[in-house]
Amino acid sequence: MTTHLPAKHAETGGGRDLKKADEAALLDLLETLEHKHGFIPREISEELTRVIEVRLERLRRIQGKLDSTIRRDVKVHVARWREEEGNLIMILHAIQNQHGYVPREVAMELARELGVKLARIYEVITFYHYFRLQPPGAHSLTVCNGTACYLKGSADLLNESRSRLGVSEGQTTADRQFQLEVVRCIGCCGMAPAVVVDGQTHGRVKTSDIPGLIEAAKKQESKK
Amino acid sequence: MPAPVQRRILLAHIDEPGYTSDIDCYLRHGGYGVMKRAIARQPEELIDEVKKSGLRGRGGAGFSCGLKWTLVDRKSGKPVYLVVNADESEPGTFKDRHLIHQDPHQLIEGIMITCWANNVRQAYIYIRGEFPQGARILERAIQEAREHRFVGRNILGTAYSCDVFVHRGAGAYICGEETGLIESLEGKRPYPRIKPPYFPAVLGLYQCPTIVNNVETICHVKHIADMGGDAFARIGTPNNTGTRIYCVSGHVRRPGYYEFEVGRITLGQLLYEVCGGPRPGRTFKAVIPGGSSAKVLKFGERFRVKLREGSMAEWSVEDIPLDFDYLSACGTMGGSGGVIVMDDSVNMVEALANINAFYAHESCGQCTPCREGSLWMRKITTRMVHGGARAQDGELLQSVADQIAGRTVCAFGEACAWPTQSFVQKFGDEFRQYAETKKTAKPVTPLV
Ligand SMILES: Cc1cc2nc3c(=O)[nH]c(=O)nc-3n(C[C@H](O)[C@H](O)[C@H](O)COP(=O)(O)O)c2cc1C
Ligand code: FES
Repeated sequence: MTTHLPAKHAETGGGRDLKKADEAALLDLLETLEHKHGFIPREISEELTRVIEVRLERLRRIQGKLDSTIRRDVKVHVARWREEEGNLIMILHAIQNQHGYVPREVAMELARELGVKLARIYEVITFYHYFRLQPPGAHSLTVCNGTACYLKGSADLLNESRSRLGVSEGQTTADRQFQLEVVRCIGCCGMAPAVVVDGQTHGRVKTSDIPGLIEAAKKQESKK
Repeated sequence: MPAPVQRRILLAHIDEPGYTSDIDCYLRHGGYGVMKRAIARQPEELIDEVKKSGLRGRGGAGFSCGLKWTLVDRKSGKPVYLVVNADESEPGTFKDRHLIHQDPHQLIEGIMITCWANNVRQAYIYIRGEFPQGARILERAIQEAREHRFVGRNILGTAYSCDVFVHRGAGAYICGEETGLIESLEGKRPYPRIKPPYFPAVLGLYQCPTIVNNVETICHVKHIADMGGDAFARIGTPNNTGTRIYCVSGHVRRPGYYEFEVGRITLGQLLYEVCGGPRPGRTFKAVIPGGSSAKVLKFGERFRVKLREGSMAEWSVEDIPLDFDYLSACGTMGGSGGVIVMDDSVNMVEALANINAFYAHESCGQCTPCREGSLWMRKITTRMVHGGARAQDGELLQSVADQIAGRTVCAFGEACAWPTQSFVQKFGDEFRQYAETKKTAKPVTPLV
């Protein structure tokens, strides 16, 4: 399940990297055995195959369980909105509420459940800015960059947030604690510049407030 | 002349200590009384009241609400839908958010009266994705109203049934455009539809006749039903009736939302007296009077305007009355009521770079002039603020903008061209100077 991997992998198309690493590990093992015995004795290769089979079987069972959980959850979301036409966006909201993003497996299951093409689902997910394809950080810091906030110094807030967190907008810190985002006007222009921390809007924010906002959020339980 | 006092009709209880979004609080303040009386009347009478009131849409275009309702195709036999536009996304606009958060039942009462008047059985509130709290407040309020039989089956014990459903957007400015919104309600990408034939009043949601109105517009309907269309029409100025909420942001001492009779207050009164004028040591430089899409006004500009009674007047920016007609006569618009103020600390090239970044990000990509044009305008202004400004950039920007406006399916084309056109036209010197000094700005961050 590539989407549950740490961002490092997920963001670099990690599936392939992982396969390469596994292959290398296996080759290492075989080389060690060859080195030890001069060749790989039949008993050993059979034993190896057996161990791998057992492991794989267990993995398959876990995957199967996950699949059925996904299927059940998707069914619940779909049932909730079944009666409404044009429900796709509301279902996606429910899914993102549950997982923090829209995992690929879930999108695939949703396509099956609704009887529409996967592309139709991705067409919507990728158009709307609100839906995420990657798991979010535990906390989020969002700087409004609408015109009113810009006039009141949102660029400084963004720069400060970047340097405090060590990431750019759209990214999540390596420890997955914080994600930095930029949004368009969020309807708080009267108290510009505005910043949203874990869903809570703060107005008239000064650059010097940013470290405190980050620390306060870290002290709170993770938002999900 | 001193500024008039606020006439708080929509905001009557907003920010009042102890006033909550609960239905009990609303009922204690006489809530749903107007609806009870309205339901006892003929729907046609209510449409007539709205026509007489002269109410114009508060979402941006200022289209007559009564006329919109009469254009609804009622002969088709198809159901009529009401869609309340709560996508409030125009930078500088923040009235709908307060109306929803602080007085949701006022909106629901307005919705139910509108539905009764237009024989609507299903209404939608399309609220932008970034307002999750607003969506929760509305859902709770609708549930409360349902329990009191103001919404749902057999409303107030009559044979009339009508439900209201909250639909959340997901972060796309174009969903505010009415046909884009309808596409989004249908669960699709919000590509606006072409008019004709897709006028919502005829071929709207699911190809059925649909009324799309802004939150503030619908809230006004409640008060029109209450006081009558004629009384409403006496508020404000001719053809610009009622009150409206002005949202002031940017460089004034007291930004905020203020409700005044339309056209009875000038820009100067609003900015100097109501909002306390510029910050210490600063002077006003420019103002965008109707949300970021409206054309900018430059302090010091003069306007020759034909007054309603026929004579001519010469005005400065401060003299312009805040109504639909006079703002148009001065080459801009009342739009969404978002007044964005800039003082002399602002560099206009940088401000435009911020606005262009927004429009390039939000173009839905359906029409080539808008998709490519907004992108190129962003590229040019971004290059300018990163030290690469050239002497002809102003003209270049202007020529791109001129090729967008009027060539797209929806009015986003104009919305993104107008800022560039007006900034370059009115502050051309600043664009040329920028090239000479090659001043590198604080980085203007394009949206991701
Ligand atoms: C690009 C674009 C964005 C818009 N955004 C909004 C919006 O956020 N809210 C709104 O009420 N109207 C918006 N409108 C105007 C709507 O298309 C529509 O005219 C309005 O909702 C009608 O309601 P009214 O007659 O009550 O004003 C937008 C229009 C355009 C072209
Ligand atoms: S511009 Fe930031 S809230 Fe409107």
